[in-house]
Amino acid sequence: MTQTVLPTPALRTVRRHLELRVSRTQRTALVLLLLWTVLALHPETRGAFLTPGNLSNLTAQVAEIAIIGVGMTFVVLTGGIDLSVGAAMAFFGVIAATLQIDHHQPAIVAILAALAASVVLGLWHGLLVATLKIPPFIATLSGFLAYRGLALLLSDARGLSPMGADFAFLGGRISPVATTAACALGLLLAIVIPLQRARRRRAFALPIESAWSLWGRAVVVSLVFVAALWIYGEGMPLPVLIAAAVTAVGAWLLHSSRLGRYAFAVGGNAEAARLSGIPVTRVKAAVYVMTAVLTAVAALIAAARTNGVTPGNMGVIRELHVITAVVIGGTSLSGGRATIVGTLFGALIFGTLSNGMNLLNINSNWQLISTGIILLGASMLDSWSTRSEGQR
Amino acid sequence: MSADLALELVAIDKRFGGVHALRGAHLAVRRGEIMGVCGENGAGKSTLLKILSGVHPFGSYAGDVIVDGRVRQLHGPADARRAGIAVIHQELTLVPELSVAENLMLGREPGRFGMVDDAALERLARADLARFGFADEIDVTAPVMTLGIGMQQVVEIVRALPQDARVLVLDEPTAALTARETAMLTRWLEALRERGTTCVYVSHKLDEVFALCDRVTVLRDGRTATVLDIRETTPHEVVVAMVGRAVEGHARARSRSAPRAAKPPVLEVKNLHVNRVKTSGHAGRAHADRARPFVLSGVTLAVDAGEIVAVCGAMGSGRTALLSSLFGCARAGMSGSIFVGGAPANLRSPINAIRSGIAFLPEDRKGAGIVPEMTVGQNLALPSLASLDVMGPWARVGLVDAVAESRLADRQIRSLRVHGEASALVVTLSGGNQQKVVLGKWLERRPKLLLLDEPTRGVDVGAREEIYTILEDLAESGVAILVASSDLNEVRRLAHRVLVLRDGRITGELDGVDATEEAIAALITGAVGVARAGSQVHA
Repeated sequence: MTQTVLPTPALRTVRRHLELRVSRTQRTALVLLLLWTVLALHPETRGAFLTPGNLSNLTAQVAEIAIIGVGMTFVVLTGGIDLSVGAAMAFFGVIAATLQIDHHQPAIVAILAALAASVVLGLWHGLLVATLKIPPFIATLSGFLAYRGLALLLSDARGLSPMGADFAFLGGRISPVATTAACALGLLLAIVIPLQRARRRRAFALPIESAWSLWGRAVVVSLVFVAALWIYGEGMPLPVLIAAAVTAVGAWLLHSSRLGRYAFAVGGNAEAARLSGIPVTRVKAAVYVMTAVLTAVAALIAAARTNGVTPGNMGVIRELHVITAVVIGGTSLSGGRATIVGTLFGALIFGTLSNGMNLLNINSNWQLISTGIILLGASMLDSWSTRSEGQR
Repeated sequence: MSADLALELVAIDKRFGGVHALRGAHLAVRRGEIMGVCGENGAGKSTLLKILSGVHPFGSYAGDVIVDGRVRQLHGPADARRAGIAVIHQELTLVPELSVAENLMLGREPGRFGMVDDAALERLARADLARFGFADEIDVTAPVMTLGIGMQQVVEIVRALPQDARVLVLDEPTAALTARETAMLTRWLEALRERGTTCVYVSHKLDEVFALCDRVTVLRDGRTATVLDIRETTPHEVVVAMVGRAVEGHARARSRSAPRAAKPPVLEVKNLHVNRVKTSGHAGRAHADRARPFVLSGVTLAVDAGEIVAVCGAMGSGRTALLSSLFGCARAGMSGSIFVGGAPANLRSPINAIRSGIAFLPEDRKGAGIVPEMTVGQNLALPSLASLDVMGPWARVGLVDAVAESRLADRQIRSLRVHGEASALVVTLSGGNQQKVVLGKWLERRPKLLLLDEPTRGVDVGAREEIYTILEDLAESGVAILVASSDLNEVRRLAHRVLVLRDGRITGELDGVDATEEAIAALITGAVGVARAGSQVHA
């Protein structure tokens, strides 16, 4: 009987190495690095890919996916899904655009109105999923259908353009000085916070992470800092800054806030969470509100970037791009496991593929196919390592 | 001698990993008799049934299954059916929306080219029912869900009992039946016996076994303890065989002599009724809902500070319902009054129960106790994350102070002697250590009342003793403990007082000293009537 499964012990050893040596997030980062190395060395993209201008564009393009991805990671973590984000982008975009174009409101009014609408929509999703216990797939599928209809209705199916002049800042760049300041602040926080934590843990005689790991992290963070200064020498696109801030805050919420911890518990074992006194309904509602608000942020950026809103086109299949990024990043669709940084890497992989293939003049059909293959690969790795965890 | 045996199981031995479920059990059923099978929870009844029905295939156990004098290898349920063994499981397997005829013919519909011949279907179904004398009583075109549960049971049996069946095996067939339906089923089984059908009747209701069976096989610890002729035995004798003769003197005489404190009891429950959850769609249940609308009816009890009270009862007697209702999990609503620490308690949700100072250790550790994707430390901190006392000032603004969390984990890991790191995934721990984690996550909240549902299920012997010691220390420190358990050794080891539930009512109360295993078992099985505290249990 056992002879028929000969390769298993060898496979299992390989698997164990994969798991022990690298975390899920590191695995995603490795894939990204590999892609970048290939594009940097490939004769046809050498000199074109690894330039500040190209990388600045690439990151600006994935900013929207990364921003929504932070919310989606929380939703997927609780065992849910939000299929409505693409259509909701069009809806929020139309709200901002009609206020600016038809009603001549200043940008701040348009932005606040879109954000307010997103809170309402998020609460609606929370009500459907958490209180009325409608499966998230169905609840948000209804939004997927309805919100684009709403957007078309509100705009009379016209393309709305151009946005007011005061709106353009959202898609623009910040000054090189501000860029340097923002990067320095990021570097400072990324180094000081772990040190501070290590000091407090030592004070209570708790185990702390090794000096190696602390130093390693400091080196990586510094490299990112240098790279950012190089890429954004002419000023960082505001969408990138927003995406970076949202990712950082999202990661912090995920690991250091009660909401994040409760989301892990609800996704990992909803019954155990309920019996531990966790307000499951509120946690679920909160993650849908968060996603809707971040979707509005992405919609506003998109409206500023294209200087207008086409309700029939804006955000079409964006929901699937976002879910792809989340899954490639290593968040489990069955809930209970998530990483925000992984989602950021997933979004970057997604953007790199399309950027690289554009540079290589490969047509966009192949981009879709290769994204599909990467997605499959990611989820196969996921079920593979999940299964071997089960065997332990 | 063996010629008149319809079914014989010889020296059946079965292990699940480290658990030795059956250790050479025997069962010999004569042709045309009704053989009762009794035993405590965990004695091996259901394992034996699963071997008979082919669920545990040939080769996964040792020993022989002999049907009509021939050794059979049952590789699956189909083999069992072919060998002439028809097993009726506790849960009905009918499709409620389909008609009686469609259910009876499910999987063997007459017709050609994938089309069903409705007329033939009805005719065949009617013939099947007629074979058992029910052709006039059951309308074959009616949807099964419109039938009473007793009649549904009949349909189930008719479907499972093909013409060539040699042995009919029933697993707790009356668990969901009303008294009238039980009587009907009993009469029908007697009629089957007159016509020569052999029957194995598994039940923990001794009154039924004595009303119906010719002989009874008693299982204990995976062995056949004894085989008794019903006419020559008494319920008391069966109970003694079930729990074993080697019931030592009182493991600990811990009856509390302390007079009831002047303080009000930590928990006081008066006339608690808990409604049965209506399971929509399920044929049998819908009817049972109407017949027995309460899972618990008129339960009154009190638990003092420092007291450990055990709740015993058979499966479905309401043990789990009692504990989960007290923790705010009564989904279908409840009535009655509950006082915690003398004040009326609002127990509408677990959150409210926790606020009242109640903690709950659920029976299903994997499904409701731990969050498997989380570490030991995160699991331990889960109920305390919102508590300023435990987590410090950051909790006020919704943050988790990682250092406070680690210190909490350290504290509980050390005091409960959990063998595992705070940073390890909780699923990598052994069952006993996982259970300590589920217990430990509550201790930080300093509960006044601890509700434990099967606290040592799946826990190895060493860790079990550690958990008992922890619980005794907690009681000593003034925590009131209500523990539901089907392990009578555990009850005797822990309890100051024992309450026995039967069909949702408290039918007996025993002082710790009087709570011998046989006394408890007698109350659980209904071998004696209601007994009061301290009274002699059997005649």
